[in-house]
Amino acid sequence: MNSKITNRVALSLIVLCAVIMAGTLAALLGYILYQGLGSISWHFLTSESNPFLAGGGIKDQLWNSFYVLLITMLITIPIGVSGGIYLAEYAKPGKLTSFIRSCVEVLASLPSIVVGMFGMLIFVNYFGFHYSVLSGALALTVFNLPVIVRVTEDGFSALSLHQKEGGLALGLTHWHTIKTILLPAAFPSILTGVILSAGRVFGESAALLFTAGLSTPNLDFTNWNPAAPNSPLNIFRSAETLSVHIWAVNTSGIIPDIQTVANGSAAVLVICVLLFNLLARGLGKAINRKLSGKS
Amino acid sequence: MMIQLNTKMENFMNGQTDETPIQIQVNHVNIYYGSNHAVKDVNMPIHRNSITALIGPSGCGKSTFIRSINRMNDLIPSARCEGEINYRDYNILNKKIDVVQLRKEIGMVFQQPNPFPKSISENIQLPLKFAGVHNKRLLNETTEDSLKQVALWDEVKDRLDHSATGLSGGQQQRLCIARALALKPSVLLLDEPTSALDPVSTSKIEEQLLELKKKYTIVIVTHNMQQAARIADYTAFFYQGELVEFGHTKDLFTHPVKKATADYISGRFG
Repeated sequence: MNSKITNRVALSLIVLCAVIMAGTLAALLGYILYQGLGSISWHFLTSESNPFLAGGGIKDQLWNSFYVLLITMLITIPIGVSGGIYLAEYAKPGKLTSFIRSCVEVLASLPSIVVGMFGMLIFVNYFGFHYSVLSGALALTVFNLPVIVRVTEDGFSALSLHQKEGGLALGLTHWHTIKTILLPAAFPSILTGVILSAGRVFGESAALLFTAGLSTPNLDFTNWNPAAPNSPLNIFRSAETLSVHIWAVNTSGIIPDIQTVANGSAAVLVICVLLFNLLARGLGKAINRKLSGKS
Repeated sequence: MMIQLNTKMENFMNGQTDETPIQIQVNHVNIYYGSNHAVKDVNMPIHRNSITALIGPSGCGKSTFIRSINRMNDLIPSARCEGEINYRDYNILNKKIDVVQLRKEIGMVFQQPNPFPKSISENIQLPLKFAGVHNKRLLNETTEDSLKQVALWDEVKDRLDHSATGLSGGQQQRLCIARALALKPSVLLLDEPTSALDPVSTSKIEEQLLELKKKYTIVIVTHNMQQAARIADYTAFFYQGELVEFGHTKDLFTHPVKKATADYISGRFG
């Protein structure tokens, strides 16, 4: 077989794989949106879910999903980015460092249901946080943290040594070089990793079943006092998120419009993740331009 | 490749022969990477307000040596430096020396232009701000001065807020030199600053270096012997980690004492 034919076969295979991948994605998205878009209405998005009757909405679940995501990121990003910087810049190669690195890897590959059980035992029972936004966010932190550590470390290692040398040779301290030169340069890749992990956190259900709970108090969206039991901002109240809601409605729901609610919720979830990605990407570009000057 | 070096006197027009005071004295410097003895017992002076070129084939230790003058070898965990590099009554190789302060006085420019992915003005002002300059007027003046010193001001004055990574390679390298000069160092180390650049950019930088040596002490590592011949006052020839010969550029190129030097500059090896 001559090399021209080999080349053509390889190219066709690669194109075929790409088409299969893109096709699957498009079919999946198309199906979810086709099934779900019909049941999305302003009423669906802005009314509370109804446990018995048809016509319930997903207002609280949608809010909870975003709120749990926000709290998770508030905990994860500072710790994860610091840990990644430590591994990339300060940790001396040796047994301890490689041990930490394998711990991070093991943590990243834990099944989320296991993380959920762990969260229930530690945060819900032992610390007494009960089923709450905080317990859910802490459980999600357990499996999101290693991802952030990893993307930060990779983002730093991908930078060329020249930038670091440049900073140090100009009389900057190591920390100042990291803060003003390396971190901004690694920012786009860290942001991409954070977005991807945010999508995963947003759609997570198993880890939240036993930590954030399967119910939500009647939220009063006019009460923004974080200490009030029915305030949307209260982190010690239980919080059923959108993906948990889909699971709950599908497995044990007794409402007559299960299909409509489940399809609608799924579509909203997918749209949110998509919007979230686009938004964060735009934001990343804008911040990057601001940091690096006009091109 | 055979390089025929023209040794006619007018090629050494730029080299001076009158001695300037010694700025840095290197005594018995040995550098190891793990068990690899990379630089062997080097002794040489570096004269003030002059250009000292370090030449030699790849892997001869010249880059390792120049990097030890502002302690950049600290970045390499396996590197170990012994001996004395005396500068202003201090031994640079002393572990207790404040390397941050040292690097402000002894600036360095690398082979690959490495502007920060920030705006042109920020590239110059970032190290200045860290050094404690916050006066806006002073920052802007220093930016303009240092860009003028490398003849880059006219090319970039209308786009100081643009990203430095959008500049050409030669412009980037001149920006890196300007950035080092903005800190008002006394010594400027250049590790093959023009080897990644085209001939036009190279000659621009060489012109600037001849101008800059009036104010600064310059040490330059170069692969290019013509470059050493064109701009250096003193030349040191390194071979296999040893300093084989050191002297006025004119003497070293016209009357090399050692056979290895003569072979190298006549292009017989390397």
